Amino acid sequence: MREREDRGERLHERISGLLPWYVNGTLSQQERERVEAHLAGCRRCQEEERACRQTAGAVQSAGEVAPTPHPVQFQRVLARIDEAEREEGTARRGGLSLAAPFRALIEATPLPLRGALVAQAAVILLLVGVLAWSELHSGPEAAQAPAVYHTLSNPAPPPPLTPALRLRVMFSPKTTEREIRELLLDVRGEITNGPSPLGVYTVEVPAGRDSPRVVLARLRSEPQVMLAEPAAGEGFQ
Amino acid sequence: MPPDDELALLRRVAAKDRKAFEALYHLYYRRLFGYLLKITRRAELVEEVLNDVMLAIWKGAASFDGRSRPSTWIFGIAYHKALKALSRQPAERGDEPDGPEPVDSEEPESLAARRELATVLGRALGSLPPDQRAVVELTYYYGLAYQEISEIVGCPVNTVKTRMFHARRRLKELLPGLGVSSHTG
Repeated sequence: MREREDRGERLHERISGLLPWYVNGTLSQQERERVEAHLAGCRRCQEEERACRQTAGAVQSAGEVAPTPHPVQFQRVLARIDEAEREEGTARRGGLSLAAPFRALIEATPLPLRGALVAQAAVILLLVGVLAWSELHSGPEAAQAPAVYHTLSNPAPPPPLTPALRLRVMFSPKTTEREIRELLLDVRGEITNGPSPLGVYTVEVPAGRDSPRVVLARLRSEPQVMLAEPAAGEGFQ
Repeated sequence: MPPDDELALLRRVAAKDRKAFEALYHLYYRRLFGYLLKITRRAELVEEVLNDVMLAIWKGAASFDGRSRPSTWIFGIAYHKALKALSRQPAERGDEPDGPEPVDSEEPESLAARRELATVLGRALGSLPPDQRAVVELTYYYGLAYQEISEIVGCPVNTVKTRMFHARRRLKELLPGLGVSSHTG
């Protein structure tokens, strides 16, 4: 008697565990028939099934928040891919260019001379170190940064700590000053020259936060921007 | 898009075809955004996690063996990235909504009751651990079979059923009236 009750309870638990997928209609036919046969005579499972249906209804009615991607989002992914591939490339090249030739040289050297070769390399490294040290400590004038002169009429900002990206940007004629300011604020850009007779500004963006590709994509995605390209001499796309 | 077309797209991504990658990105962006938001319930995390997912797809497309649907594979990556991002966060913020949504006084009583239940259940779901919530969402919102969910979350089917069991029990604790027929009180 007890054994039969245990068997019945185990069956109930197994069927009850399938109810969410009975409700979402993904059970196999065999499983579905088993659930329905049990459900007909089990009040607990009937209540559970109702709870599952209510939960399913609530989950579905919550809907989905899914915006359309802004073009700049995809550019950010591409920038991360470029960065990851650059890092992988550097790691591979670094391993080959420094360690491998030196290892090959040592292996190609006859055994009795290997000690001498290593000692010679150590002496060269030491000399390079001494030269570098003396270069750095050869007097205050040597370490002094090149002087930067400012005129009183046109005070220039101090040189940036990190190199800035220089861009050529042209706005559509109807763009207001405020819109330009907001656009530039978004990429942290600053007008450093212009407008040229054609209406082209030179904009500097501090490097670091977004890659040049992302900054350009961001600007180009704005309808007010008619042209955004690297300034002459900047080697990026 | 049929799974075969998605598979072809994924094969091209494996060959480092950026045009195919862009097409895949646009094909999945909205789906992944909604899915990640449902699992994390942290809007500020979603964009970053989505980028992580796309980067993982770019790097790992060649390892996709085609035994499951492309969407199963991609949702699996998204699930693991979401959980990883949540684990890096400090204590989870209370993500309770500000209050019940205003109910239109003109709507029928039963509809108003259903809306209220949806709001309360939505809050209760927010209090579930993310791995349990993911199983609930994958079952009821995405309508997936437990076998496919087990592939997405990378666990045996029994673990999927156990997570659902705990989720149901927790929802019952929070909402004792859940499942009780209105006819029986």
